[in-house]
Amino acid sequence: MRLLVVEDDKTIREFLTRALTESGFGVDASSLGSQAEKLALEGVHDALIVDLALPDMDGLELIQRLRAQGVSSPVLILSARRSVDERVLGLERGGDDYMTKPFAVAELLARIRALLRRSTPSQSEATRLRVADLEIDLIRREARRGGVEIQLTQQEFALLEYLCRNAGRVVTRAMVLDHVWKMRIDTSTNIVDVHIHRLRSKVDRDAQQQLIRTIRGVGYVLKD
Amino acid sequence: MFSRISSSFYRTSAWRLAMRSTLVFAAGSAAVFLVMYIVVARTVQERSDSWLIGESETLKQVALNTPRDALYDRIVEEVAELASQEVSYDGSGHHIQGNTVFFAQTDGSSHSPVWVGPSDSGKFLNAIRNLNIAQGAPISLRVQGWREPFRVVAADMKPGDGRIYLGLLDASAAALLQRLLVRFVLGWLFMVAFGFFITLMGLRRMLHRVDAITGAAASIRPDDLGTRVTVANQRDEVARLARTFNNMLDRISSSVNQLHTLTDSVAHDLKSPITSVRGSLEIALTLEDRNQSDDLVAGAIEQLDRLSDVITTSLDLAEADSGALRLRLQSVDLGELVGRVAELYAPAFADNQQRLTVRVSEPVHVQMDVSLCTRMLSNLMENELRYATASSEVCVSVTTGREMACITVEDDGPGFPADLLRPETTSEGAGAPPLPRVFLRFVKGSDSQGHGLGLAFVNAVATAHGGRAIARNRGESSSGAQIVIEVPLAHQVRLDEQSPSSLSMP
Repeated sequence: MRLLVVEDDKTIREFLTRALTESGFGVDASSLGSQAEKLALEGVHDALIVDLALPDMDGLELIQRLRAQGVSSPVLILSARRSVDERVLGLERGGDDYMTKPFAVAELLARIRALLRRSTPSQSEATRLRVADLEIDLIRREARRGGVEIQLTQQEFALLEYLCRNAGRVVTRAMVLDHVWKMRIDTSTNIVDVHIHRLRSKVDRDAQQQLIRTIRGVGYVLKD
Repeated sequence: MFSRISSSFYRTSAWRLAMRSTLVFAAGSAAVFLVMYIVVARTVQERSDSWLIGESETLKQVALNTPRDALYDRIVEEVAELASQEVSYDGSGHHIQGNTVFFAQTDGSSHSPVWVGPSDSGKFLNAIRNLNIAQGAPISLRVQGWREPFRVVAADMKPGDGRIYLGLLDASAAALLQRLLVRFVLGWLFMVAFGFFITLMGLRRMLHRVDAITGAAASIRPDDLGTRVTVANQRDEVARLARTFNNMLDRISSSVNQLHTLTDSVAHDLKSPITSVRGSLEIALTLEDRNQSDDLVAGAIEQLDRLSDVITTSLDLAEADSGALRLRLQSVDLGELVGRVAELYAPAFADNQQRLTVRVSEPVHVQMDVSLCTRMLSNLMENELRYATASSEVCVSVTTGREMACITVEDDGPGFPADLLRPETTSEGAGAPPLPRVFLRFVKGSDSQGHGLGLAFVNAVATAHGGRAIARNRGESSSGAQIVIEVPLAHQVRLDEQSPSSLSMP
């Protein structure tokens, strides 16, 4: 998978390149809109990450020009402009997702993966997810660890499902709030930790192996 | 130098206004004087004309009735002489210089006419001979050698018997009119000059006060907002301007003061975490033990998240204060939303040995920005999480009044310190009512762990939706804090509007 990063801030461009490369993506980076346009027109990129404030043109203009010239790869917009109107405008002008700075790298990776998943023809939706000896049935809404059923509330099941779908990848607190509770709130309290803690006490209590792990300062990951 | 002063004086609005009003006044008063003069002149002329007509009739009668003998000329001349003396002397017998009367009688033959009047009769007779004049209608006649015109009237004798001409040069009336004219012009000039002077002085005095305001405005600098205009004890427009100007300065200066406080708070609130982030990372770099350094880095990230939160909320508040907060209104079931937020926070309350109860009796529909409303509710929850003491009971209820929906969050803890409930006037306009300090930015309890923006944000959201936030302690025992959010009820909520707003529970 090859990505194109268009960002004029050197620090952000470099750490994005590094983070994406470490996650296994091939990365081209550009600080100029005109240069990025040429690169994107080669048509080799699976997704684009575009900053809105570029020195030579507006990021939205770049996206519109690329779309007009038939570039259909999904675009993730990065911006410091955080109003809802800006977000809507970005999505209307051909962006596929919108992230405001500052952002967590884990969330950026998750969004890029989601965009790539959406743009490639999807395989049939799984009805069962399995991580190590944890198995969840999405239709019957049941979870089993080592064959033993775990009693979960609806909320706990939704949380576990989200972690399983992202198994092996870090999810942040904001991502959990957004996807499980459908709320975009910034919180400096430990509300999500409390929910994770409760879930972990049910899922990992009797097991040898801890599946749900906390990555301090970043979020959580479910992996074996 | 002088020309500069004078040219700038001619550019003052006092000069311009005085000039304009004087010109209008001058034109108006000149017209009035002209009309008066014409009326007087007419009256004077009518008087002399009626004397002429009457006298010419008398002379005609005398001429007709006097037998045509040798004495005829003498008698007619005598009578004409008498008549002329009537106008040559005033009532008290003084001779009036310049009043001249002439009398001529022609008889249609070559016989020389009867003449009474100035000695240069030839000129008069020539002028009369060419005259085309109807009987009894006086006209003006210029005679060679005389400056003023004569008024002349003619009376016909018997057909073929000739005509009587009677002429009058009323020099006294002419002098009267001239004197009148001179006085009118002088009076008019004086009035115009005096009016101009008074207007100019009045305007200059008034505009001087405006200049004082200009001077005060010019002397205002960000570091010196102390200047005020002296307000005269008057109630006119300029005094109003001065008072408004002073009020504006008061407001600006209070805003600037608040801004200073705010900047100090921001600097403090940002500097401490930045210092600790920097310190943590510095130590992490020097540590050999990976686990320990990871802990420090993770702590630094958490600090940065908090910082980012402070910045986001500060920007939202700044937008709300400037009225730039754009609302995406949707129909929201407040009860359902409160329920969901409470569900999210319930475990955290339980961990704090606190109990959270939700009381919602019925769906309560309001028009709100869902995202802002959710953040407002989460701020209220976090406020309780932080400040309600362990084992206290927190209750969230949603009720409806006549036009308002109320969200009440209350606990049975120690309540707000009295200091935080003290009302304080904010900078936003003179009309804004004072707010309890707890709703002001960066105001927080002495042992608070928060950034002091949470309740300010709650208040901003409530206000932006046309509602308000109230903070108080329950009852007189001041046991338990209570925050009430009032927002207007949606008047008409159609069923189809509800679906997009109510996000379904997963």
